[in-house]
Amino acid sequence: MLSIKDLHVSVEDKTILQGLNLEVKGGEVHAIMGPNGSGKSTLAHILSGREGYQVDQGEVLYQGHDLFDLEIEERAQQGIFLAMQYPVELPGVNNLSFLRESLNSIRRARGEAELDAAAFMRLAREKAALVELPDKLLKRDVNSGFSGGEKKRNEILQMALLEPQLAILDETDSGLDIDALRVVANGVNALRSPERGMIVVTHYQRLLDYIEPDYVHVLAQGRIVRSGDKTLAYELEEKGYGWILQEHAA
Amino acid sequence: MNNLQQQSRWFENLLEANSDSLNLRAADGLSGIHVQAQQALSDLPVPDRRQESWRYSDLGKLYRQMFRISGEAFDALQETDIDQWIYPKQDSYRLVMVNGQLAAHLSHVSGLDKRITLDGISQLSATERQGVAAYLQQHGGFADDTFGQINRALMQDGFYLRVPQNTVVDKPIEVVFVNLSHDEQLLSQPASLIILEPGARAQVVERYLSLGSSEYFFNGMTDILLREHAELRHQRIQQESSQAYHLSRVGLRQQAASIYQGLTIASGGAWSRNDIQVHLDGPHAECDLQGVYTVGDGQYNDIHLDVAHNAADCRSQENFRGVVHGRGKAVFDGRILVAKDAQKTDAQLSNKNLLLVEDAEVNTKPQLEIYADDVKCSHGTTVGKVNPDQLFYLRARGIDEQQAYRMLCLGFADQVLASIEDQAVRQHVHAMFNRLL
Repeated sequence: MLSIKDLHVSVEDKTILQGLNLEVKGGEVHAIMGPNGSGKSTLAHILSGREGYQVDQGEVLYQGHDLFDLEIEERAQQGIFLAMQYPVELPGVNNLSFLRESLNSIRRARGEAELDAAAFMRLAREKAALVELPDKLLKRDVNSGFSGGEKKRNEILQMALLEPQLAILDETDSGLDIDALRVVANGVNALRSPERGMIVVTHYQRLLDYIEPDYVHVLAQGRIVRSGDKTLAYELEEKGYGWILQEHAA
Repeated sequence: MNNLQQQSRWFENLLEANSDSLNLRAADGLSGIHVQAQQALSDLPVPDRRQESWRYSDLGKLYRQMFRISGEAFDALQETDIDQWIYPKQDSYRLVMVNGQLAAHLSHVSGLDKRITLDGISQLSATERQGVAAYLQQHGGFADDTFGQINRALMQDGFYLRVPQNTVVDKPIEVVFVNLSHDEQLLSQPASLIILEPGARAQVVERYLSLGSSEYFFNGMTDILLREHAELRHQRIQQESSQAYHLSRVGLRQQAASIYQGLTIASGGAWSRNDIQVHLDGPHAECDLQGVYTVGDGQYNDIHLDVAHNAADCRSQENFRGVVHGRGKAVFDGRILVAKDAQKTDAQLSNKNLLLVEDAEVNTKPQLEIYADDVKCSHGTTVGKVNPDQLFYLRARGIDEQQAYRMLCLGFADQVLASIEDQAVRQHVHAMFNRLL
């Protein structure tokens, strides 16, 4: 589904990713871990099409096609979803209207019929229950005055509505207490399926107690320096990142 | 002949070009106001850029044209011609003024409480009309302004609403100003008056439409008197063509504990200016001025607010937002004057502008003049662009770039529009902006 080969990316002449390789297939959950500044968020952003990054080398194929040929909205329409680390507030933009516009944009792009208001409301309520997002937050402006946990739940709600092929979770655990973390993780787990690939970017192993990855990759200095199964995450939790970086440098 | 002489001549020509029409059709009881205004005009300066209040205004566009009051009857005009511009249609009392004159066949006020007066000034009894004229002569706004006096000097019609003491108007009152000009450049200049007696309550929606294809000059004034504890919700929705030259004025006087809630939607034209002058003359009066203006390619859109706190314990709020979506020019000038005795004044002013294009101009000028020492006053203005993080967020959810911009603009405007209680008006404005942006 996703194939990243020898990817080099820079921001304002500063090299961030330096030869990253990653293969994600349907049904797989890949955790990307690594110390601050290793390029985890850059990877999430470059896949979603965020501006400000320059691809210097390498390629990314999504469903067999060059990902960089697609605009931001086209990537979303073709099934890529980024749950953001810092969901932005949209004052004056009603959450329900936004969710409906988003879902219908994607349905239109897929050649599906748009949902009318009543059908959409039923669906939105059903999915909101999954992430325990209260009704009143559906009626408010997007993320405006939401707590950190509510913003993250709103992200997972969007993911549940849009049913992406490839979901990228960028530090979804940051700023969450343990209860909110459990709610968010339950929401994500409910969306695991044999067709759907997931990339879970996180600094801490904690999230992976709830979302069990098939693969764990350690990103350091812009490339993946070690890959393993979920036991690698426990090892990192115990020993920190230092030993891997030393091994890598040696 | 220099510029100033040319401009001065323009006003003389405008009066001269329309004097026949005035002699033919002006109703009884208005000649006093005509004469007084013509005398006042000779002492007033011609508006041009040297005056602070016209500093950003390109009046040259206006002065290059000549406009005439129409003598045409509008029998062919039908209600559906108007309704297609108004969505959703409201359950209301409605007056329609075509080119500044009452079109009775398009108006309906049946069912209105008989104690309430709602009619064209031309239709009033001679005594009532003299009463209206007397108020406008003594207390009317914009007496020190040339365009204001032109409105008076050529006054023929307008609407008059009087709600007696402790009476509540049970439905919104719509006044639709239709500008219908084909092949000739028309002058439309209604002079209207609203008086709410003590404890009276009403909602008035003024709408401005263009149905023709030519340029025209709308030079309208609405004077308002709110007596003690009266309450007016007043929405003014301008939805005109790019051929419109639109100058509209509200002269508002508020007595003790009266409440005014005003909304101005100004979607521009070739040249457009809205002036609101407020006198808070009695204690505990409240005045809330909200507005959204838009500027497209080649448009000029100007908002001038002037709130005078003449009495203690009053509250005023001005909250205007501008969406500049084309290469044009926006002006916002908000002045708050707090007189020496107006202690415990609470006055807030905010103006925010969203710029969608590079080559546009926004001039925003808040002015506070405070002569009392125990007041709470604040002002803030901003000019900004669309936040790229917000744009990215919407696009990352599959929404195409143009629609994302539209949603953010509407969201920006909606922070003002959210205050509209009347859902029909709010829906109408939403639909209008959806088409516009």
